[in-house]
Amino acid sequence: MIDLEFLINTLSLGSLYALLALGLVLVYGILKLVNFAYGEYIMIAGYGLYFSATVLQLPWWATMLFGVAAAVLTSYLTELAAFRPVRTKSANALIVTSFAVSIFLQNAVLILVSPRARAVQLPPIFSKTVNIAGATTPVRNLLIIGTTIVVLVLMSLLMKKTVLGIAMRAAAEKFTTTRLMGVPANLVISAAFIISGLLAGIASIFWIGRSSSVDPITGAAPLLIAFIATVMGGMHSPTGAVVGGFVYGLLFNILSITLPASMISYRDAFMFVIVVLFLLFRPEGIIKGGYTEERVG
Amino acid sequence: MNLTSRLAAFSRQHSTLPILMIPLVLVGLGLSMFGSSLLVNVYTYFCVSLIMVLGLQMFMGNAGILNWVHIGFVGIGAYASGILSTAPLVKGMGVPNMYPALVELSMPVIPAILLGGVIAALVAAVIGYPLMRLSDFVGVITLFATLIVIHVVMTQWDNVTNGPRTFFGVQEFTTLTVALIAALIVMVVAYWFRESALGLRLRASRDDRYAAMAVGIDVVRVRYYGFVSSALIAGMAGGLWGHFITSFSPKAFYISEMFILLSMIVIGGSGSISGAVTGTALVTVAREAFRQLEGTINNAHVLSFEVYGLTEAVMAIAMVTILIWRPGGVVGGQELRWPLLKRAKRSETKEVEDGV
Amino acid sequence: MTMPMLTVENLMASYGVVRALHGISLEMNEGELVALLGANGAGKSTTLKSITGVLRPVKGTVTFLGEEITNRKPENIVKRGISLVPEGREIFGQLTVEENLRLGAFSSYQRDRYKADLKEIFELFPILEERFGQPGGLLSGGEQQMLAIARAMMAHPKLLMLDEPSLGLSPAMTDNIFVLIKRLQEMGSTILLVEQNAERALGIVDRAYLLANGEVEFAGSAEDLKRKVDIASVYFGGDDEASCEVPL
Ligand SMILES: Nc1ncnc2c1ncn2[C@@H]1O[C@H](COP(=O)(O)OP(=O)(O)OP(=O)(O)O)[C@@H](O)[C@H]1O
Ligand SMILES: [Mg+2]
Repeated sequence: MIDLEFLINTLSLGSLYALLALGLVLVYGILKLVNFAYGEYIMIAGYGLYFSATVLQLPWWATMLFGVAAAVLTSYLTELAAFRPVRTKSANALIVTSFAVSIFLQNAVLILVSPRARAVQLPPIFSKTVNIAGATTPVRNLLIIGTTIVVLVLMSLLMKKTVLGIAMRAAAEKFTTTRLMGVPANLVISAAFIISGLLAGIASIFWIGRSSSVDPITGAAPLLIAFIATVMGGMHSPTGAVVGGFVYGLLFNILSITLPASMISYRDAFMFVIVVLFLLFRPEGIIKGGYTEERVG
Repeated sequence: MNLTSRLAAFSRQHSTLPILMIPLVLVGLGLSMFGSSLLVNVYTYFCVSLIMVLGLQMFMGNAGILNWVHIGFVGIGAYASGILSTAPLVKGMGVPNMYPALVELSMPVIPAILLGGVIAALVAAVIGYPLMRLSDFVGVITLFATLIVIHVVMTQWDNVTNGPRTFFGVQEFTTLTVALIAALIVMVVAYWFRESALGLRLRASRDDRYAAMAVGIDVVRVRYYGFVSSALIAGMAGGLWGHFITSFSPKAFYISEMFILLSMIVIGGSGSISGAVTGTALVTVAREAFRQLEGTINNAHVLSFEVYGLTEAVMAIAMVTILIWRPGGVVGGQELRWPLLKRAKRSETKEVEDGV
Repeated sequence: MTMPMLTVENLMASYGVVRALHGISLEMNEGELVALLGANGAGKSTTLKSITGVLRPVKGTVTFLGEEITNRKPENIVKRGISLVPEGREIFGQLTVEENLRLGAFSSYQRDRYKADLKEIFELFPILEERFGQPGGLLSGGEQQMLAIARAMMAHPKLLMLDEPSLGLSPAMTDNIFVLIKRLQEMGSTILLVEQNAERALGIVDRAYLLANGEVEFAGSAEDLKRKVDIASVYFGGDDEASCEVPL
């Protein structure tokens, strides 16, 4: 059962989940915002892919840039318009705001585009399969693994080697003190949203790539995955989120194989029960990190 | 202290409920005598929503924890009461796969609704045990995920709920009078709860968790009791709703309905009963108005497409606007007291203004 | 030039409904070393927080170098040349010593100057060079205090404010810190020093303010203060009025 195919499957699923979780936890780390609108960045990226490919007829690489850019822009705009004014209010006010933003974006798409799903064309390579050492796997599984490695390396360089990254890590630890170093609050927060949108956009390409369609509630499932992966891995560091993503991918695949067919529709429920029981014994998640719960003043 | 000043003090202390209840009763009486059937329906729906929001306020407002699962408990109550009270014959036809033992059940509506509340509270008692122990932000996420799990179970367990399909044939029971009386009772309960020892401890834990622990409040335990009490009310509200609408599917107990409940409590102000009532009233009126508007636009065919989701989009904007300008909601954390315009003395109680 | 570098006028600040400052006024001239003294809860840290913009004052003004900076954001105030070494050090425990210092230089970073500054810092605090690549959280309390001071100095502040730099340090380490503060003044810094250790502080400062219950109770030269006020009573016995009120 644990063969190469399972391994590649798990790695690719884990990669996708790790990207999803990482984008969520970056904003959480700095703003202490559990961002319910995060799924909508993924959904908007999907519509960006659809719009640029079907309406604008752009080449495939340009549609991808377009989709990712749409997510980044949405993320940044939601920060400016909604999260910035609410930032100093209570923690719940921020979360409720993100929920309202999520509902707003879903319904805006519902009104402006359509409640019905749209087909998204991705380059043919996404649907091809290859044969590696006897294991057959879709090429996109390999692409996501490769992309995730590149993204994680770049992210870690950004966080460790650039002043912006250092400032973001500092802000996640002690927000006010970071401002006392002269780091503008808006700079680190906007940066977090932009990177979060970037990761959502990249993940969206692969998420949409599996079903080749997008509808107004496309964002709900990846949001939940990001949620569960972060609480499992640990909400207190980016590393925790990435680890949580991979562990989630592994658990998911194991359950898919071991659960009897009649129970497969409860897979998510099982996943979740496992996670909650695990949290009872280890409330911080797998990785204890450095993020504190100090809020932005 | 002479009698008049004592009376004045007493009425100031306890004027909140009359201020809220008298208009509700008057509007109810007026509508039942002169209102169109549409208005009567809207008002009945308002009263049932109010019970849901008051139940939400009991836990979320006092404990300061965003309780996403609330609408799930409403659903559990609705299904439980529906299954308990519907005639076996009707159930046998409506839910072909239902467990025979459940099909057999049949009891009068009122005990069914009460039992529905108890079942919701029992579910809350089980899942609340781990959930109330989690830290704040992890808790928010897990409560949300729990709602999704409840939804998955409702849509998949077709031996009980008829799966994603409509569960129909529920007896009609909740008239305007029933809903109004129930709402008034729950309002008294919620008010009493807020001022009770448990409510005070919950509010203390909301305002400063560590200070509350320092004075000996077992935060996990009071939250647990609050969570279960709130689920009890939610379950009964679900039963009332089920016997009003008579047919429903799991969709009715999910994120978009939770959004409406949240918008009610956030817009009114979650810190007080007065806020819950005001918010429910405002959102109900706005929601109906926009629904009419949507209908008019779609029927007039002035646009080349049908407008859906306008209501939700506008509610979302309203919610964020309120959170920016008046984070404590329209009413704020203080209860309305007589006289309405004179603010209570500041030193008496220190309420957190942004009570969401 | 007779205009003071920093003027605080009638500053009032509160935490929620609790008023912490009831109208504080103080002045600092360029090159001065001034102490801000007072018992626990007198409002010293609150004053510094209000000056640096971490706390928005309810009323009153802060003027720095002829420009009003009341209600400016903390990051803008740092840029104008006021740095704070906060109470309790507040170093970034997850970041290395190097990264802590790099952030200190955030507001005025120039590559060449940064290198030179590091050299100077290492001369003052050799231990920081040894611990350069280690996370700040692994440093001892005294080392963290040095890092906090070094970090603030990396910004080349025109006005350096230190909130209880000797807190929790050994007597020997405290001596070092006081010597260092005096040296920084001699090197041209303007320093506002908040201290519990009033006698030590009065030994090195030019002037001092004494806060009590959110008000300036006394202001004058270090000698005046030593003479006129029984320092011990400020910290241990409460002020005279309070002691009169104690029922027998
Ligand atoms: N974060 C806060 N929230 C509420 N009240 C506060 C807060 N910080 C300080 N206070 C109150 O404000 C007043 C002044 O506090 P401040 O921290 O300025 O005192 P301080 O002079 O720095 O004392 P210490 O020497 O103990 O550091 C005190 O009464 C204190 O209780
Ligand atoms: Mg202090």
